[in-house]
Amino acid sequence: MNMDRLLFRRPRLRLCGRPLQAVSAGSLLLLLVFFAVACGTGGDGQEDTLTLAAYTTPREVYSQALIPRFQEHWRETTGRNVVFRDSYAGSGAQSRAVVGGFEADVVALSLAPDVDRIARAGLITHDWRAEAFGGMISRSVVVIAVREGNPLQIRDWDDLSRPGLKILTPDPRTSGGAMWNICALYGAALRGKVKGVAGDDPEAAANFLRQVLRNVTVMDKGARESLTNFERGIGDVALTYENEVLVARRADRPMDYVIPTSTLLIENPIAMVDVYVDRHGTRQVTEAFLDFVRSTESQLIFADFGLRPVEPTAAAQVTDRYSTPEDLWTIEYLGGWDRVIETMFAPEGLYPRLSEELLTSNEG
Amino acid sequence: MKADAPTRALPSPDTSRTQGNGSRSIGFFLRTVSSGYLLLLVALPLSAVLWVSLQDGPGTFWEDVTHPVAWAALQLTLVISVVAMVINTLMGTLTAWVLVRYTFPGKTVLNSLVDLPFAVPTLVTGIMLVALYGPQTWIGGHLEAFGISIIFAKPGILLALLMVTYPFVVRAVQPSLEQLDRAQEEAAYTIGANRRQTFRHVVLPEILPAVISGALLTFSRCIGEFGSVVIVAGNIPGRTLTAPVYVYSQIESDLPRSAAAVSVVLLAASILLLFLSGRLQRRPGEGREKPS
Amino acid sequence: MMKPEKPARTARRRPGEILAVGAVVLYAVLLLGIPLAAVLFGAFSEGFERFRTELLRPEAVSALRLTIQLAFVSAAINGCFGLIVAVTLARHRFSGRSLLNGLVDLPFGVSPVVAGLALLLLFGRGGWLENVVSAVGLRVVFDWTGLLLATVFVSLPFVIREVIPVLQQVGTAHEEAAYVLGAKPWQAFWWITLPAIRWAFVYGLILTLARSLGEFGAVLVVGGGIRGITQTATVYIYHSLDARNEVGAFSMALVLAVVTIAVFLGAEAIKRREERRRAGEGPTRQALR
Repeated sequence: MNMDRLLFRRPRLRLCGRPLQAVSAGSLLLLLVFFAVACGTGGDGQEDTLTLAAYTTPREVYSQALIPRFQEHWRETTGRNVVFRDSYAGSGAQSRAVVGGFEADVVALSLAPDVDRIARAGLITHDWRAEAFGGMISRSVVVIAVREGNPLQIRDWDDLSRPGLKILTPDPRTSGGAMWNICALYGAALRGKVKGVAGDDPEAAANFLRQVLRNVTVMDKGARESLTNFERGIGDVALTYENEVLVARRADRPMDYVIPTSTLLIENPIAMVDVYVDRHGTRQVTEAFLDFVRSTESQLIFADFGLRPVEPTAAAQVTDRYSTPEDLWTIEYLGGWDRVIETMFAPEGLYPRLSEELLTSNEG
Repeated sequence: MKADAPTRALPSPDTSRTQGNGSRSIGFFLRTVSSGYLLLLVALPLSAVLWVSLQDGPGTFWEDVTHPVAWAALQLTLVISVVAMVINTLMGTLTAWVLVRYTFPGKTVLNSLVDLPFAVPTLVTGIMLVALYGPQTWIGGHLEAFGISIIFAKPGILLALLMVTYPFVVRAVQPSLEQLDRAQEEAAYTIGANRRQTFRHVVLPEILPAVISGALLTFSRCIGEFGSVVIVAGNIPGRTLTAPVYVYSQIESDLPRSAAAVSVVLLAASILLLFLSGRLQRRPGEGREKPS
Repeated sequence: MMKPEKPARTARRRPGEILAVGAVVLYAVLLLGIPLAAVLFGAFSEGFERFRTELLRPEAVSALRLTIQLAFVSAAINGCFGLIVAVTLARHRFSGRSLLNGLVDLPFGVSPVVAGLALLLLFGRGGWLENVVSAVGLRVVFDWTGLLLATVFVSLPFVIREVIPVLQQVGTAHEEAAYVLGAKPWQAFWWITLPAIRWAFVYGLILTLARSLGEFGAVLVVGGGIRGITQTATVYIYHSLDARNEVGAFSMALVLAVVTIAVFLGAEAIKRREERRRAGEGPTRQALR
C-alpha cells in the first residue's frame, strides 16, 4: 500500500489503475443495463396479461396451439396483445398454489375437487359448474401404457397384480392423474370387471389395489413426469391418461397402450378465478379465453392432442379416432368426488392406509 | 479454491484505536445495519420454520417427524449421506494428496475437474446422471441386464451426492497438506519409519482436523441436497425418498407444518455440523500466507 | 484452485504413487468428466443449428435473462451488505457478535427447499409478513421478489466469509496511522480498507454470482416456475424435460455450466493474482506491524 495515500490530498478519480472503482462502476453499469432491459419488456398500456394454472398434461395443447391462436384471435378482435403466464404442475399442487397466493386468472385442472378447493377458499365466487359443459373442458380415459409391441402381453387390470411387474403411477398427493388412476383400479375391481376379484366386495377391491401398489416403483409428482420416466426406460407399464400417451406418440416416443375393458371417464374442469381476475382487471380477456377454448374449433384442437372433446359437435366429428371402452363409468359410481376423497384419500382413507402398510413391509 | 471452507474463526477485533471522530455513531450504524440484514434475512425466515413446526405443540411436532414416511425419509437420508461422506472423505483426501504431492500429465485438468461441482447447478448434475445411467443408455442398459438400477434407485442418489460434494474434502485438505512441514516427515524417515508409519504418525494428525472438517461439511451438504436428487430419485417411501424431497412434497401437498417439522430436524443437524466444522478449522495463528 | 507445489523429488515413480494417481483420475473422470461430456453430447445431439434454435427461443431467453438479473441484483445486495457485515464483525466488539457470526454461516447448511419453505411461510397466505408486504403493494410468493429473496438468502455468506479473514489479516495498523494523520473514518475506509480487501471482495462477489446462477430448489418452491415471471434458467431446464425437449434442457444446462465455469475461472485468476501480490508484500507487512 502506498504510503503517499496517508497524506490526504484531494484524489483524482482515474478509472484505470483503480481496479476497485473500475469494478464497481462496471457492475453498476451492468446492473442498470439489466434493469433497463428487464423493465423494457414489462407490460405497457397496450397489453393484457392472462395467468393460467394448468395441470401437467395439457402443456402442449395450450402452449403450442390454443394460446398462440387465442393471442391472434385477441389481436384481431381487440387490436391488443395478450401476454400469457402459464404454469404446468400436478393438479393438486397447482390448486394449493392458487390458494396459497399464485394469482392465476384461469385454472385448468385435472379433476373437479381441485377447483372446489379454490372455490372453498373464496377465490371463485360464481357457480363454476353452471358454466358450459358442466364446467368441464376436456375428457379422457384411464389407460395402461406399455412398451412398443406389448412384450409382456398386458391385456387388462388383472395383469397389473403380477408379482415383479414394475408399475409407474404418480403421487396422489400432488397429481390429479394419480387419483384418477387409483379410482379406476378400485372401481373396476368393485364392478367385478377384474378377473379373479369378486365384484361388489370392498375388501377384495382393496386387496387388489394393494397388490398393484406393491408393484409401483416410482411415484413422480405429476402425470407428465410419470410418463417421461416411463419413456426413459423406467418400469414395465405406466398408468396414465389416454391423452398423455397420445401426446407422447405424437412426439415420436415409442409406446403402445391398452384400454382396459372397464375404465373411468376422466373429466377435466376449467374455471375463472374471480378474486384474482377482478384484482388484475382481466375479466374481459379471461371470459374471452374461456369462450374460445369452448368453441368447436378449439375442441377439435384438443382432439388433435389426444383429448376427447366435451363439445358435442366436435365430439361427433372425432368418434373414429377414439374407441369406447366396453364398460365406461364415471366417478359418480364411487359416490362422487367428495365421497371418494373422504373415503380414499383423506388421512384416514384407503390409500394412505395401504401406503403405510406397504411402507412397513418395505422396511421389513 | 475453498468456496465452502474458509475460516470461520473470529478472534477478538482490535478496536483500541479505531475510535475517532464520530466513530461511535459509525459503529452504531454498522452494528444496526449488520444486525438488521442478518436477522431479517436469516434469523426471521428460519424462525418462521421453527415456529410453524411447533404451532400445534411439541407432541404434534414429534408425530410429524416420526410419521412412517417422514421417518423413513430421514433414515434413508442419514444412511446415504454417511456412505457418501465416507467415500468422498477417502477419495477426497487421496485426491488432495495426489494434487499436492505428485506431478503427472493432466494434473491441471484434474484440478479443474474437482471444481466442476461448484460451477454446475445441482439440477444439471441430476440430468447428467439420467443422461448417462438411465435404462435406455449404453451404460444403464447393460447394468439393467445385471439387475442393477442406478436411476430411481439408491445408487443413483449416492452418485448424485458424491458428485455434488466431491470438492469439499479436497479443498479442505489441500491447504493443510500444502502447509505441512516436510522436515518432520524427513526426520521420521531418517529414524527409520516407513511411509505408512510416517503418514499415520506425522502427516495424519496434522491434516486430520481439515479432513474431519471437510467430512462434516460434506455430510451437512448431503443431507440437504435437493436439486440433483429430485431428478434422480424415485420418491418411493422407504426406498428412494430423501428428507429434502419429502419436505418438498409436503409443501406441495399443503402440509407446511409437517414440512417444517422435518426441516427443523435437518436444520438442527446442519447447525451442529457447521459448528463442529468451524471449531475444527480454527487453528492458532492460521493465516493465508504461504510459508517461505 | 491452489497452485500445487512441485515436489522436489526424482522422477522415479513408486507403484503406490501410480496406483493413487490412477485411482483418483479414474474416480474424477467417471464421476464428473463423463457426465459433463454427456451434457455436451446431449446439447449438440441434433446439431449446432438445433442448439442455437433452442437457446434463441423467447422462453429460453427470458429465463436466462431472469437468472442473470437475479444473480446480479443478489450480488449487489450481498456485496453491499456483506461488506458492512464483514467490517462490523471483524473490527467491532459488541454483544451478540458470535450470534451474528453464526447466522452468516447458516445459509450454507440449509437445504434449498427449506429456504423456500421459510419464505413461503413468511410471505404466503397466513404468513407473518403477508399483510406487511401486500400493504406495500408487493407480491413475494410466485413473483420476482420472492425469487430475489431466495437467491439472496442462499448466496449470503460468500462475500462476508471471503472478506473477514483478509480484514483480520491486514489489521488496523494502517487505519490507525491514517487517523493519527487526520483522516476521517470514511476516508480511511475508502483509501485504506477497501483497497486492501478489494480482491477478496470481488472474489466473494463472483462466488455469489455463481451460486445464484445455479439456484434451483428455493426458487422452485417460492416462485412456482411460472412461464414469464418466475421461470429461471434452472426451472426452465426442469420444465423442458417435462415438455420432452431434452435438447433444449441440455442446451440451457450447457450454457449455465459454461457461464458459471467462466465466472469461476475469472475468480481463480483474481485469487492467484492476489496471492502473488500478498507473497510479494509479505516482508513489508511484517515491518509495519
